[in-house]
Amino acid sequence: MTEAVGIVGAGLTPCKGRWVELSYYGLSQLAVKKTLEDAAIDIKDVDAVVFGIYNDIFEYSAIPEHPLQGIIGMANKPGMRVTCGGATGAYAMLASYTMVKSGLYDTVLCLGVEKCTDCFDFDSMTSTPEVIKSIGWSGDTFYERELGWTASESYAEVVLAYMDEHPNDLKDEVSAEISAILCKQAQNNKYAQRYGEKVTKEMAMNSRYIVYPFKLLETCVYTEGAAGVIFANKEKTNSMCKNSGKPPIWITGVGASNEHHVVGRDFRHKVMHRIYSDHLSAKAAYKMAGVTNPVKEVQVVELHDAFIKQLQVTMAEFGFTKLGHSDDLVKEGLMVPGGPILVNPSGGLTYAGHFVGGSNMLSAWSTRRELIDKQLHRGMIHGTGSTIAQYGCVMIMERRD
Amino acid sequence: MARPKVKSKAKPKAKPRAAKSPKVEKVIPLHMIPDVQSEVIKTAEGRYLQSNEAMFTFYKRSKGEQSPYFLGLMEKKQIIGARCPKCKLVRVPAFEIYCPDCQFEKLELVELPDTGVMNSTPPITYFANSLFAHMVPFGRGRVMIDGADTGIPMHVYTTKGVLTPRVFKKNTPVKVIFRKNRLGKPTDVFAVPIAELPEKLRAKKGVEEQELDWSRPVEPPVDKPTPETEKAFKSAFAAFQSMSKAVAKSDRAKKDLAGWKRSIQVKTAGGSFIISIDKQNLTVKPGKAKADFVMVSNNPRLFEDWMNSRESLTNAIIADKLWISKNQEFTTVFKLDRLPRSLRRT
Ligand SMILES: [Zn+2]
Repeated sequence: MTEAVGIVGAGLTPCKGRWVELSYYGLSQLAVKKTLEDAAIDIKDVDAVVFGIYNDIFEYSAIPEHPLQGIIGMANKPGMRVTCGGATGAYAMLASYTMVKSGLYDTVLCLGVEKCTDCFDFDSMTSTPEVIKSIGWSGDTFYERELGWTASESYAEVVLAYMDEHPNDLKDEVSAEISAILCKQAQNNKYAQRYGEKVTKEMAMNSRYIVYPFKLLETCVYTEGAAGVIFANKEKTNSMCKNSGKPPIWITGVGASNEHHVVGRDFRHKVMHRIYSDHLSAKAAYKMAGVTNPVKEVQVVELHDAFIKQLQVTMAEFGFTKLGHSDDLVKEGLMVPGGPILVNPSGGLTYAGHFVGGSNMLSAWSTRRELIDKQLHRGMIHGTGSTIAQYGCVMIMERRD
Repeated sequence: MARPKVKSKAKPKAKPRAAKSPKVEKVIPLHMIPDVQSEVIKTAEGRYLQSNEAMFTFYKRSKGEQSPYFLGLMEKKQIIGARCPKCKLVRVPAFEIYCPDCQFEKLELVELPDTGVMNSTPPITYFANSLFAHMVPFGRGRVMIDGADTGIPMHVYTTKGVLTPRVFKKNTPVKVIFRKNRLGKPTDVFAVPIAELPEKLRAKKGVEEQELDWSRPVEPPVDKPTPETEKAFKSAFAAFQSMSKAVAKSDRAKKDLAGWKRSIQVKTAGGSFIISIDKQNLTVKPGKAKADFVMVSNNPRLFEDWMNSRESLTNAIIADKLWISKNQEFTTVFKLDRLPRSLRRT
């Protein structure tokens, strides 16, 4: 086992609603090229690769990673695909971390890619209904799919249940303001899908519902793109970072939890008004990293904001505010500009992009960037996924120089 | 080298399979299937090729240990659960054969009543996946059957018009209603608020859909015009005319309306007009005529608020500020709802 695992490089493609110029092969090559340039290493220095690709249907292949192995320069080396719903990226990084931590490999590339808007609905002559349908194949095949299960109605179910318990939390004005904050933050990310766009609190408030209580401008985008992160053992991290001139970023905590997919009365099944997987994964990661008070000890969070109101519940499950008081994120100034916690400085999945298999790598890229550029100490990244927010995975990153 | 073949529509078969038995429903709706075709897309970077394709697999899917629940629905109008003799937990539907909490103790099948409560407020879908677009808005929640410890995912309906977030809440008492034609699928049943049922149906076992009173909601009346509402109507109509011109000049807006043809009779307290969507254009003319569907808003100002992105038509329907005569025309409403943003971004 190695003593410590660090991140030595990260890179990504521009996030776009649709790429006609690049297929997922080309997107992968571009992301790997950028990641290697950032780390200032050659692909020959990489011992193994983990692919984060969520959905076979998006890529039009049941083993979508197989054509990537050779074209990213990893022929004849170990390669493994991770797929874990919306949390694919975070779980792929957990696998990459584990491969290094175990001592089996010195340097592991984690590559996330998704090409989703090739899916096309010829009835409405638009992509989105077919993208939603392709994600719909992820719902429980016996009990949910035939009821028109979608990712948004499934997360809405969790949020509505939370609102049943906490009727005075999750006010529309607050989620609209968070949306505006994220939009503004995305303007510092030239790779963001909605770079150059201006969404105000009022626009978010007045945007239409897609599924009650989620509004269009409080919902993640569908993105085509790719991102890479390179993990290395202590020795390689130190030598590679010395060479690249970038400070090493260390992984000091990881945690993961998947809930039951059936709803019940206690935690033997899913308790609908909780995102218990987020709570448990953060708790495990905090314990490992020695974090006891996240508000004081974590400066930047890049969390999986599939929907803004879910971002709020997740922040409460993480312990940044109490359950039932997630509006304090804005009301108490916790995540407003200049507040104690920088939340989704990339613009998050709502504004930067959500290319599912690689979205959490975008989060890692952004968190590392903030730790380096703003000289912050500790950040955390998160992925959530599957039906009713079943999966959670958290990673804590630290700068120690 | 041969040039790639583009715009090569395959010839339709002389006799499509559907023509043989038009009443049989297909596992893939035929209208969703595109022609074999390729096309060249030009972007600032160059010329790129794309083609119509599909990923499809057919199944004879076994329901295995899930069968008792679905057979119960289909054959006997029964709700079957599984009870653990050790921890006494009753799981409904009967989705597993052993209790993972009791060292995989074998479960016993039990019949449960067809009444229960909503586990939590169910979500209502307004923007569905392409297979369900014709059904919006629809609700799906989890029914906690009386005596059960887990919830059944189930469609929820009201017999009283458009489904709004005000109909179902956590703990709303519901009755499970059975479809007349059942195939052993989760759609064999749906839940309605028990309060909507007459007394005699509440305790009856195995109530079928046709026993319910599905009386259609009637078109809401609009107030008599006043000088104020007439003025607001004129202003809204003029704004529609400007919007019509703007749409004609906006590629983004025209794309929103691509392939869509509808006429909409709009009625307000200040007057009526007709919106026509055809050939990627939107036109308006005053008055009344036969239309695909009707929209009623007492307040003509709603439409100007909509054009100025202060209100969406979808949200107005949810908030009872706007009424539409056909639920499935939500699809048209979504297309309209895209226009103000597209025009702003043009
Ligand atoms: Zn048991």
